[in-house]
Amino acid sequence: MDRDDLQRSYALLGLTSDANLREVETAYRQLRELFDEASLATYSLLDYADRQEKLESLQIAFDVITQSRICPLPQDEPPVTSDTGTVCDPRTTPGLHLQQHRERLGLSLQDVAERTKIGIYHLRNIEAQNCDKLPANVYLRGFVREFARTVSVEDVDAVVDGFMAISRQPTESN
Amino acid sequence: MTVTDQQEGQQHRPRIWAIGGGKGGVGKSVIASGLAMSLAARGERCILFDADLGGANLHTFVGMPNPQRTISDLFRRAAATLDDILLPTPFPNLSLISGARAQLDMANPAWLQKVKLIRQLTILPADHIFIDLGAGSSFNMLDFFLAAQNGLLVLMPTPTAIENTYHFLKASYYRRLRSVIRHLEAEDLVDAALATKVQNGVRSPRELLLDLQQRDPQVAQRLQRAMARFTPKLVVNQVQRSEDRELGAKMVIACRDFFGIDMGEPALIRNDERVLVALKSRRPVLEMFPGGPFAEDIRRLLALMLPAKEASHGQR
Ligand SMILES: Nc1ncnc2c1ncn2[C@@H]1O[C@H](COP(=O)(O)OP(=O)(O)O)[C@@H](O)[C@H]1O
Ligand SMILES: [Mg+2]
Repeated sequence: MDRDDLQRSYALLGLTSDANLREVETAYRQLRELFDEASLATYSLLDYADRQEKLESLQIAFDVITQSRICPLPQDEPPVTSDTGTVCDPRTTPGLHLQQHRERLGLSLQDVAERTKIGIYHLRNIEAQNCDKLPANVYLRGFVREFARTVSVEDVDAVVDGFMAISRQPTESN
Repeated sequence: MTVTDQQEGQQHRPRIWAIGGGKGGVGKSVIASGLAMSLAARGERCILFDADLGGANLHTFVGMPNPQRTISDLFRRAAATLDDILLPTPFPNLSLISGARAQLDMANPAWLQKVKLIRQLTILPADHIFIDLGAGSSFNMLDFFLAAQNGLLVLMPTPTAIENTYHFLKASYYRRLRSVIRHLEAEDLVDAALATKVQNGVRSPRELLLDLQQRDPQVAQRLQRAMARFTPKLVVNQVQRSEDRELGAKMVIACRDFFGIDMGEPALIRNDERVLVALKSRRPVLEMFPGGPFAEDIRRLLALMLPAKEASHGQR
């Protein structure tokens, strides 16, 4: 991945590189919906193959951006409660999903580190989806699972899957 | 035909509006007549031009059951110019060029002179000319649409209307693109881009322009600039539910992505039973119910389309 790829990815989502992860997720979700097979607003604008390609390019742009993120934690954002329905998707933005759950419980990263016995360095990189600095998959899987349980994530497997999907290293299982 | 680039500055020429959208029954005629009625009431000289040959009924919307002279007289050479078939309506400042009794098949040979016709339109004594394009995306319709400063694409929130709108939009976009390419003598460049693109599939005009950027930035930029001026206004009519309200904005985003054009804020026109009531009594809805939702939305559409100074002109 190079800088141009990254620029193009932001442009594709209609964003600039100063967008935060939450904005990235929202833009991605809205565009996916707009170009979905069932969307009335793009009915007949694209044929089947073009639509699939469009959706795929959105997916790639989203992945490129989330993987490039280096710890830009929005520390002062208000806690998100589950009944507002704005909790991020555990598969597409697992780091943000973990962060939201942690904040909802009013826990700091230090708190989570003490409870899980996982280094705060790793926890921070996990939340930020900082792919360059994530531990090897064998460790990552266990860390994420532990982190997710500690902050009461409902669907722990989804978060683990989400991280396996964005992790750069080949997964050992497939 | 070369690209007509009429600028705002030409004070004495009428502003030409074309109301199209591909589908019949979506409200083109009622909207065209509403816009004209509204501006005429403000003292602007308006002409309604019914180009829906074969389905002409614009006269009915302004309470004129049986137009004496129509465009068919022009085709039969019983009249020489548009001026000769210009009819006064019961409303001050509002005239009509009727398309009644003209047939599509008689239109085609004579329509070969459409350049002449368009030129005649631009010298008519008026401030605004509203062309009701009728259904379809024939070249004649497209050329009228492209000659207008204000192109409106009327649709309803239904899949069939949306489909026809996109079809019309693509057809008019490509027709304009082709004439700009010819104008810039960039045929070879575009052919080369298309030749390699076809293997990968040209997904959208915007991608074609991106590809041209790599080959010849200068020509690509001029092409882009010319096409950026192609900004028809989306008019979503018969809006009822909240999804209907969002449809136009979503289509604008999709078009920015697909064509690389910015159509700006879409116009919404609410579903209003008064439209049918007025039509049944063969009176203009804006005259009968000037305070109703339809009239209100027509005025909002006018405000969207006209620079602030012009919109308020004649109100004082
Ligand atoms: N905003 C509206 N609310 C209610 N009915 C409408 C509205 N717009 C159009 N209609 C109805 O739709 C019908 C078709 O409108 P018309 O202007 O003749 O369509 P077109 O010219 O596109 O074929 C009209 O008879 C009118 O009753
Ligand atoms: Mg009509």
